[in-house]
Amino acid sequence: MDSLQLLLDGFGAALTPVNLLYALVGVTLGTLVGVLPGIGPAMTVALLLPITFTVPPASAFIMFAGIYYGGMYGGSTTSILLNTPGESSSMITALEGNKMARRGRAAQALATAAIGSFVAGTLATGLLVVAAPAVVSFAIAFGPEDYFALAILAFTAVSSVLSRSIVRGLASLGLGLVIGLVGIDQQTGQARLTLGIPQLLDGIDVVIVAVGLFAVGEALYVASRLRHAMPEVVPVGRAWMGRADWRRSWWPWIRGTALGFPFGALPGGGAEIPTFLSYAAEKRLARGAAREEFGKGAIEGVAGPEAANNASAAGTLVPLLTLGLPTSATAAILLAAFQQYGLQPGPQLFDHNPALVWGMIASLFIGNTMLLVLNLPLAPLWARVLRIPRPYLYAGIVLFAALGVYALNGTVVDLFVLYVLGLLGYAMRRFGLPVAPAVIGMILGPMAEIQLRRALAIGAGDVSVLVRSPVAVALLALAFLALLTPLFRGLAARRRVTASSRAE
Amino acid sequence: MSRWWRPELGLAVVVLVLGVLVVVGTLDVSAAASQLGLGPRFFPMLVGGAMVVVGLCYVIDVVRGGRADPEESEDVDVDAPTDWRSVGLVSGIFLAFAALLNVLGWIVGAALLFFGLSVVLGAEHKLRAAGISVVMGVATYLLFVKGLGVSLPGGPLTGVI
Repeated sequence: MDSLQLLLDGFGAALTPVNLLYALVGVTLGTLVGVLPGIGPAMTVALLLPITFTVPPASAFIMFAGIYYGGMYGGSTTSILLNTPGESSSMITALEGNKMARRGRAAQALATAAIGSFVAGTLATGLLVVAAPAVVSFAIAFGPEDYFALAILAFTAVSSVLSRSIVRGLASLGLGLVIGLVGIDQQTGQARLTLGIPQLLDGIDVVIVAVGLFAVGEALYVASRLRHAMPEVVPVGRAWMGRADWRRSWWPWIRGTALGFPFGALPGGGAEIPTFLSYAAEKRLARGAAREEFGKGAIEGVAGPEAANNASAAGTLVPLLTLGLPTSATAAILLAAFQQYGLQPGPQLFDHNPALVWGMIASLFIGNTMLLVLNLPLAPLWARVLRIPRPYLYAGIVLFAALGVYALNGTVVDLFVLYVLGLLGYAMRRFGLPVAPAVIGMILGPMAEIQLRRALAIGAGDVSVLVRSPVAVALLALAFLALLTPLFRGLAARRRVTASSRAE
Repeated sequence: MSRWWRPELGLAVVVLVLGVLVVVGTLDVSAAASQLGLGPRFFPMLVGGAMVVVGLCYVIDVVRGGRADPEESEDVDVDAPTDWRSVGLVSGIFLAFAALLNVLGWIVGAALLFFGLSVVLGAEHKLRAAGISVVMGVATYLLFVKGLGVSLPGGPLTGVI
């Protein structure tokens, strides 16, 4: 087993004291931002991007991976203990999890979420070890036209899946693509869309865009319609569960992993769909007492979706590492981190930097174990974090956003750009435009352009080169289908609305 | 106010206008006599053109009454009316902070930013908020400037801390 040997080498790299410390910092920070409303892993990794100038790549990615996984763990704590809808991927967990907490079973809900996340994360990382080399050996023959088609598929899939309204998803994507265009064209050195402002020649920094859209946008949105009542946090002790709970959790964990991993790996798959499918599956499969409990706090309804949620995070890393294709906002920021080191994820990365890739994958196993230790006994601590008064929380988020952005170049111009992007982020939230397509468009757009120009240069200007390889044709066909799905969904919804309005 | 006007139309028009601006702005780019393949103008034209089409569809969708659900978040009451006063105050405080940062220095500027935002967002004990603000300003300065070597403006307190 070649990849097993490489993985063992990876453990060697990840198990140094310094890297273990980076992993610990990563998972702790990740859990914290996952628990706190208003910030998530994408923005946290973005704020930490500047450390790439001083920290060696392996350590930075070990920390970033810890933040990614930790964010998934933390989100479940919030949705179980707080009875308000949060990010959509943990909303499903809240359905049963919060009901369990209200019936005095918060400790069991947290335990099945944490242990399920551990089981799913470990299994899914194992699947990543198996799947990544297979995808690499398939993708090694990809030409630029295939990569261009892949980017197009990612664009349309992420825009159509994340929003009920495809035009809003595409508008978000377009905004990101335009931001990505600003600056000097890498191939000819021509300035594009800089409005003659010299600061824009280098383009708009990923950090400013991500922090503006996520942090400042969220703060303005919260200011506009703050829930003034203090959210109710269900009190909880150490997370634990009994033998009956274990028996009821095992299969949902496995099924959730099986659903989450492949969906995470698909462009536009994300975490929302598999968590929902897992919930639906568990509800249908429930027998006896569990069937009665669904809707009132069934442990299966927490175990399955939480496992699916975490497995999808590992799945997301497959296309990111093997193809350089981000399928979520956090993955897009991770891709930006690779670019800051001058690295391009893809088959070549596995060839040239095996120590980095396999060290990062090994650190996922380590981080998962740390997260389990961090989450079971420390549940009461995380519950306390949830009680931070909101005025201070959001004032602090804006403060750190301003700090991170100012520290980039030491200029207040960036702070004004940050505010404008924050306004955009606010408007997008207010009108239901998903933010992820904008982030993915901004980071993947310039790469799509390079591949397109490379492909057309090879074809000497002949456009048919774009559909010469069967892989590219298949990917473009899928991209087209992705654009059509919401149309059908919209039609179906409209028919239902007219039917129900007639019935009234 | 006529029935077709809704605030979302503003965002839709921004998308449309941005598409037009990208196309117009790209016309300025002198395309280096393209050897083989494409110059620097092709992709922006593609994006700009697509933005115009998407923007038009978006405007039509909004005028015809289409809408999506506002994003849900733990601390947001989706059904509440927009509190423009808070949005305006948060914006004003942030912009004032950005404008005055180099004069006030990080510690004073950040403390005022934190205090202003927490009061606007409903902090009840003003005195406690003030105390936390000062701690935040000083702590971030010490941590990032002295600890991590980030450069932040010292302002009038340069040399004192």
